[in-house]
Amino acid sequence: MNEREVLLKRVQICDFALADTALFLDTHPENQMALDFYKKYLEMRKSAADAYTSRFGPLVHSDYDGGPRWNWVDNPWPWQNEEA
Amino acid sequence: MWMYSKKLQYPVKIKNPNPAMAKIIMTQLGGPDGETGAAMRYLHQRYSCPYGEVTGILTDVGTEELGHMEMISAIVYQLTRRLCMDEIKQSGFDSYFVDHTTGIYPVSAAGIPFTMDYLASKGDIITDLHEDLAAEQKARTTYDNILRLADDPDVKDAIRFLREREVVHYQRFGEALRITQDNLDCKNFYAFNPEFDIRQARALEKSRK
Repeated sequence: MNEREVLLKRVQICDFALADTALFLDTHPENQMALDFYKKYLEMRKSAADAYTSRFGPLVHSDYDGGPRWNWVDNPWPWQNEEA
Repeated sequence: MWMYSKKLQYPVKIKNPNPAMAKIIMTQLGGPDGETGAAMRYLHQRYSCPYGEVTGILTDVGTEELGHMEMISAIVYQLTRRLCMDEIKQSGFDSYFVDHTTGIYPVSAAGIPFTMDYLASKGDIITDLHEDLAAEQKARTTYDNILRLADDPDVKDAIRFLREREVVHYQRFGEALRITQDNLDCKNFYAFNPEFDIRQARALEKSRK
């Protein structure tokens, strides 16, 4: 894995943990253990996303960093997997 | 990957139910030029698209269309709240009601369920963008027709917003077509298909750098 893939994987791990916990919380909205778990991964997600976007560009539009180019449109798109 | 945002793109606040109008507007969810077809069209065409700016516009317009599916569903939902059986019978909504009650199910105004036959993904970006330009105009005409049929200002306000977005999308797809053509052989745009003949597309890109 190159550095981009390593940093992206961290975001994907956090996002999956958040998505899966959100499903559990939908049916258990007052479960404190799940709420704490969600909060922990939310904080990890923030630092993982910052590390990725500061070097490799936006994951969502609102990651725009104020630079001179809308690098949202730059290849690769997620399904292109050109390295493989 | 998508994330749901718990808000409408533009507010839908309809005070008075109108099941006959709901049946007409439902065509923009499940009909031939509706928002479901639009979202499916752009979000499938984008995978083999070779130009980042064009992939970007297909992704972002396609995503916005998902939000428009939600707006149309909100309009239909609000137009069919608190109905009595007499209103359902007299309005002609009974033919929808019998199968779906007041649940949201994507059908055309004539009751035909949504089908992927309404869209194309041709694997040729010039062809796909022409389809997309036509689709936006067809949706714009449908919204114009809805505005002729509607008299409730609450309904017209949301429909006018959606109609305007068709015009903006048409403009952006026109620009995407120009970007595509700028990447091709200016003497013959059809010399090769940049989605399929990848080697020729890359060779042309390199020769320009």
